[in-house]
Amino acid sequence: MSDRLRSVRSFTRVVIAMALLCSASVLSTDSQGLAADLDGKPFDPLHAAAGKVLVLIFVRTDCPISNRYAPTIQQLASRRADQATFFLVYPSRKETPEAIRRHEKDFGYTFAAVRDPQHILVKQSAAQITPEAAVFNASGRLVYHGRIDNLYEDFGHARKTATTHELADAIEAAAAGKRLVGSATPAVGCYISDLE
Amino acid sequence: MTVGPGKLVQSILPLACGMTLTVALGNRTSAQQQTLTQHAPAQSAVTFTRDIAPILYRTCARCHRASEAGPFSLLTYADAKSHARQIAAVTKRRFMPPWLPEPGELKFADELRLSDSEIAPIQAWVEQGSVEGNPSDLPPMPKFAEGWQLGKPDVILKAAQPYALPASGSDNYWNFVFRAPVDRTRWVKAMEIRPGDKRLVHHANVLVDRQQNGRRQEQEPGAGFGGMELTIESEAFDPDSHFLFWKPGSIPYVEPDGMALRLDKDTDLILNAHLQPSGKPETLQPTLGLYFTDKPATQHPILVQLENDRMLDIPAGDKHFVVTDEFTLPVDVDVLAIYPHAHYLGKDLQAIAKFPDGRSETLIHILDWNLNWQAVYRYAQPVKLPKGTTISMNFSYDNSDDNVRNPNDPPQRVRAGNRAVDEMAHLWLQVLPANSVQEKEDPRIPIVEAMARHNLQKNPEDFEAHYNLAALLMGRGETQEAIAHFAQANRIRPNEPTVNNAFGAALLAAGRTEESVPHLTAALNARADYFDARYNLGNALASLGDFRGALAQFQVAVRINPEDANAEANLGSAFAETGDLKQAKLHYERALRLNPNHQLARENLQQLSRGTNPR
Repeated sequence: MSDRLRSVRSFTRVVIAMALLCSASVLSTDSQGLAADLDGKPFDPLHAAAGKVLVLIFVRTDCPISNRYAPTIQQLASRRADQATFFLVYPSRKETPEAIRRHEKDFGYTFAAVRDPQHILVKQSAAQITPEAAVFNASGRLVYHGRIDNLYEDFGHARKTATTHELADAIEAAAAGKRLVGSATPAVGCYISDLE
Repeated sequence: MTVGPGKLVQSILPLACGMTLTVALGNRTSAQQQTLTQHAPAQSAVTFTRDIAPILYRTCARCHRASEAGPFSLLTYADAKSHARQIAAVTKRRFMPPWLPEPGELKFADELRLSDSEIAPIQAWVEQGSVEGNPSDLPPMPKFAEGWQLGKPDVILKAAQPYALPASGSDNYWNFVFRAPVDRTRWVKAMEIRPGDKRLVHHANVLVDRQQNGRRQEQEPGAGFGGMELTIESEAFDPDSHFLFWKPGSIPYVEPDGMALRLDKDTDLILNAHLQPSGKPETLQPTLGLYFTDKPATQHPILVQLENDRMLDIPAGDKHFVVTDEFTLPVDVDVLAIYPHAHYLGKDLQAIAKFPDGRSETLIHILDWNLNWQAVYRYAQPVKLPKGTTISMNFSYDNSDDNVRNPNDPPQRVRAGNRAVDEMAHLWLQVLPANSVQEKEDPRIPIVEAMARHNLQKNPEDFEAHYNLAALLMGRGETQEAIAHFAQANRIRPNEPTVNNAFGAALLAAGRTEESVPHLTAALNARADYFDARYNLGNALASLGDFRGALAQFQVAVRINPEDANAEANLGSAFAETGDLKQAKLHYERALRLNPNHQLARENLQQLSRGTNPR
């Protein structure tokens, strides 16, 4: 038992150093360098999830692949609510809070959404695509980013059903405090635009 | 961005060309590549208004605008910038615009294909930061008709019930049955298919169902029914020869004069739709807009089908399984359109015409078949193929794990069938046979006959081929051979009412009346309201002297179809034979009301009047 505790502590220290390196520029820009909730208030999901695994899912209202994933994403978020805190992230400046609320309702999302018009979370997560997931472990370290599963192999090359489930595996590993083998598997979908 | 645009274009171009080389074009000479480089605007930065907007307007805007199939609009600079990286990626991979055939000698109408010299500047534009450019360079936005593309249709048909498409799951196939609201034969020159929310529909086909096959599959009238493929049977010689196809961005096709589609009373139109769940629950209630013409069809195209479903038996894991078929044209034809079809394992689909003089020409070649983007391809100019030309179909299939679309995980042995997990190897060509001056025969008949005989060579147990050949021979008066093929069709499917009726009718025509009765009776046992079988059985019984039996059949027949003058006249005769002259007169008179020129009814009525009124 004590053995396990010790190893976790040393792991945490390394992680903190990494997180600082990654988000140095973010910290310096302070509150304006934050994502926002749908009421427009600055919001930091990492802070909100403090001590718990955090899952960010980047989506777009007008991306068909991202939308087609909605039932899968919602199911994952419901089933794994005890293992991780989930947020939807809408990275396009053009998508208004009203449009996002409507989108969440239409597609049956029941967990919170944040806007990331300045791509703060996009950068922290190294996200490029919608839909794409990012998993931060309990210490706030990015441990996985990439596809949700392998339903799509390429544009126009979709499986009937997914056969690998990278996001679920990443959550599982992060919740158990394990290190992941593959930490980034490229997603297929719609590119997140450059800053608009 | 500090790098000069000229330098950037150069560094990007080889990449763009390289993609094209491997993905789409095969070999290219360096001279051609040189030309490509010159096309790209290398002198100044690529701008939206000058360089990109014309490309988007030509190839993307048709679908990428409000209410169309594209998931977002691509009309303005803001639209394009918001999706810039996506546009670059999907065009470079030639995923968009969706266009499967390789460029070849033969051109298709509405070819939705980007040239290399359009793809390169798109890549450069995005790399350079998606610059807007001078607003005065912007060409006028294309004008699209709102609402019905050909104006208000003469008749609008709406599906009786909406279909609820679930939020998730794999591809979904649904058939909507529309009752054609015509009280007489009409000629349809165009049909606009509005499948509902276009973002949910990959493609849709309308089939003409003259025998109401489809509605028998509905759980309740108007409910529609599931299923990927449809088999529509028709007992009349009138091959379903028009492609009524919808894909995203399609504009309704107006048939030229003399080629309208015949729509009879009691005909159903079946919309077979390939749907894709969107992520939220959706409902679809398609509509069809029909445009009539007074000009009946004088030219009759026909669908030539190549297939080899019998060869389709693909071992699990086979990466390259080839299916072929060859058909030699018995007459000169103009090929108007082509429609290759396979399911999820199809990979390389090719059709070639080998001319009698030894030359050959590729009719269509698809390197990476994608069921989702299947389409009917109409040639820009009819392709003339002389008699003796052999059309060959060469389809290859990938049933390995490498094919991510493989519906079976792990791969399974796959054979031909109508389900999504089965395969198909079909190629349809819409051809217009040249009218031969000397022969009186319908120019389609030699093609139908050649196809049926070819199919029987491939598969002696081909039910449809036996039936079609028999029906055709019957029409030509070759009763003996017709009876032989009806007998084969009847042996293969003993309970098929259509065959039992036609077989019975053929036996009746050959004077083998007693043999006809069991077949006509079987047809009626399978389908009690089968008018033709009632009528034929009435005739058979009358020929055998069983007038009471005949009377009973004709009485039912006129109830099924009260507008058939022949049935009324024969009912009159049956009454006359059984001694009920009053009833006989009544039915002869009805026959004459339905058809004032009915010779038999008139003569018999006159005879009856003389006999019963001895003045």
